Amino acid sequence: MIKVSRYILVLTAVLVASIALPAFYWTVFEKVPRSPQIYYSCITQDFVIADGSRRTDPSGKEFTSDEYERVLPFLYFRQLMADGEMPDSINGIKMEAPSISRASSFYRYTPRKLNSPVPTLYPMLESQSGKVNLAMPDDYFRIEKRMEFIVAKTNRINEEKSVLFTNALIDEDFVFPAKIIAGLPTTRKSVDEGYFVTDSEGSLFHIKMIKGEPYVVRIETDEKLDIVYIEAVDLRSREFYCYVFTRNQGIFVVMDEVYDLQRLPVDGFNPDIHVFRINADLFNKCITVLGENWYQAIAVDDMYNVVGTHSEEWEGLYERPEGKAFASIFPFEVRLKDDNSAFINFFFRPSPGFRWLTVNLVALIIAIVLIRRRGWPLMANIPDLLIVGVTGIYGLAATQFFPNKFTVRKQPNNK
Amino acid sequence: MLKSIIYKEWIKIRLIILISLGLSLLALINIFLKVRHDILFVDAANYWYSFLFRGSAYFGILKFLPFAIGLAVAIAQYIPETVNKRIKLTFHLPVSENGILIWMHAFGAAVLLILFLIVMGLFTAGSAIFFPSNMINPSLVTVTPWFLGGMATYFLVALILLEPVWIFRGLYTIVAAGFVAIFYTGAAIEAFRPVLPLLILITLLLSFVVLFSGYRFRKGEM
Repeated sequence: MIKVSRYILVLTAVLVASIALPAFYWTVFEKVPRSPQIYYSCITQDFVIADGSRRTDPSGKEFTSDEYERVLPFLYFRQLMADGEMPDSINGIKMEAPSISRASSFYRYTPRKLNSPVPTLYPMLESQSGKVNLAMPDDYFRIEKRMEFIVAKTNRINEEKSVLFTNALIDEDFVFPAKIIAGLPTTRKSVDEGYFVTDSEGSLFHIKMIKGEPYVVRIETDEKLDIVYIEAVDLRSREFYCYVFTRNQGIFVVMDEVYDLQRLPVDGFNPDIHVFRINADLFNKCITVLGENWYQAIAVDDMYNVVGTHSEEWEGLYERPEGKAFASIFPFEVRLKDDNSAFINFFFRPSPGFRWLTVNLVALIIAIVLIRRRGWPLMANIPDLLIVGVTGIYGLAATQFFPNKFTVRKQPNNK
Repeated sequence: MLKSIIYKEWIKIRLIILISLGLSLLALINIFLKVRHDILFVDAANYWYSFLFRGSAYFGILKFLPFAIGLAVAIAQYIPETVNKRIKLTFHLPVSENGILIWMHAFGAAVLLILFLIVMGLFTAGSAIFFPSNMINPSLVTVTPWFLGGMATYFLVALILLEPVWIFRGLYTIVAAGFVAIFYTGAAIEAFRPVLPLLILITLLLSFVVLFSGYRFRKGEM
């Protein structure tokens, strides 16, 4: 029992060390990772890469600040207009400020959005109140065994409204409960489009409220989609309602009014680890998928046909000097927080390769020397040596912090 | 014999427990009076909104209370035992040495656990007046690590206090501080959900590590 209690302490110390020591190492040595911004220029019909203060084309030719603004006229049109450099027309289209800003949009998806706690209550705004400003309702809905509206002031269910909406969902063969509820629960948007909801079978629905009445549409898809994340957007162009991310079937947008799913030309996207960015302008959309040490950029025209691709790869964390050194010292690390998740967890990250074996071996030798010098029997310390052998310097520290002194007994002091 | 030991332990910690209960009740009253006030003045729908979409928690002042209580109870229970090594007297009683320490520790842990359960129960009941389960569940997931941290603090401080050698007390404190800090990592509402089962398991395992330094104390480790 007492020996077991010591191993519990040793393992707790290993856990603490494998969180604290690497965290300390990274604070001292970690360098800012590359995170280039990729745009598609309608002037050069090619990509423009902004990486820190360097702005280049795909071949690596550097742009001056003025050149850079000129090849991205939609991004810098106010500056170009002020300088009198804005072209009157591009590709035969007359340049006007309202149409430029209507077509421009930017969106970014990170795995953190998928792996984070989400609320299960949402406000259902009135989407056609006849007023200019949107207003927050005084109740919130949840979709569990049925759709229920709870009035915030009284914390009671509005039975009438709940039955009304539940029946509207049943009429469209909604299978309760909901899995994902995605919308823009704010009044700071141009119009209200309600919520995009998946039911327990994964089918996609659009739910909103028009003049107090439920409006429910079942969105048909060609194949069954394994939807993991939906994000509604408020595009001034009213081109589509939302982005739909699936586990292995790619990324879609749901077109406004017609509810067609348009697949974006992105392959191999893993929503758990990849970042997705989209930059839209009057002519093109530039999509970038980023991994830890690579990106792939895809430019499409307004009909979603691919007009160009570009990709780049650079040294990963463990290929850089500070990462290599880390993987030589520490056999693994545990993180409480991960870049790809908003949750707290014990994120276990083994170091790549086997260079850490050397340090583990040294730790093991030190442990053996310490045991011999104290005259403790080696056999009774086998579990300790195993812990040191596997966990390296974490284990060495942990076993010294909680000494294995059961085998030698001092004579009691008789004062 | 057992009854007397438990009575002795109760005498040591009763004042701390009553103060802790009083402070916890004050904290809870403060929380719910503030919620009631804000709901009246700011409007309930708005208040719910800031919880759901802005992540503002109404129970923030509870955070370090369990830590302080765990620390205080451990000190109240074990400091008197280490003064002049009084616990050695206890070890001379005709009961197994381990057994007696287990009873002392189990009693302290049980009282602490009951206190925490009362506070969490009242917190849940108070929340239920103002909020639906969709807000209470995430709130409970958020406060549970704080209370678990209080239990872990109690277990580890007991370990540190019974350790006879000062240098090892220091080393244990480093490990204990590193471990207890996990429970109080700043995070969004409900962020601890995936790690909660593991934290409960480790805290349970830590419940009897006091035996380790108790053993060293008995054997006169120097």
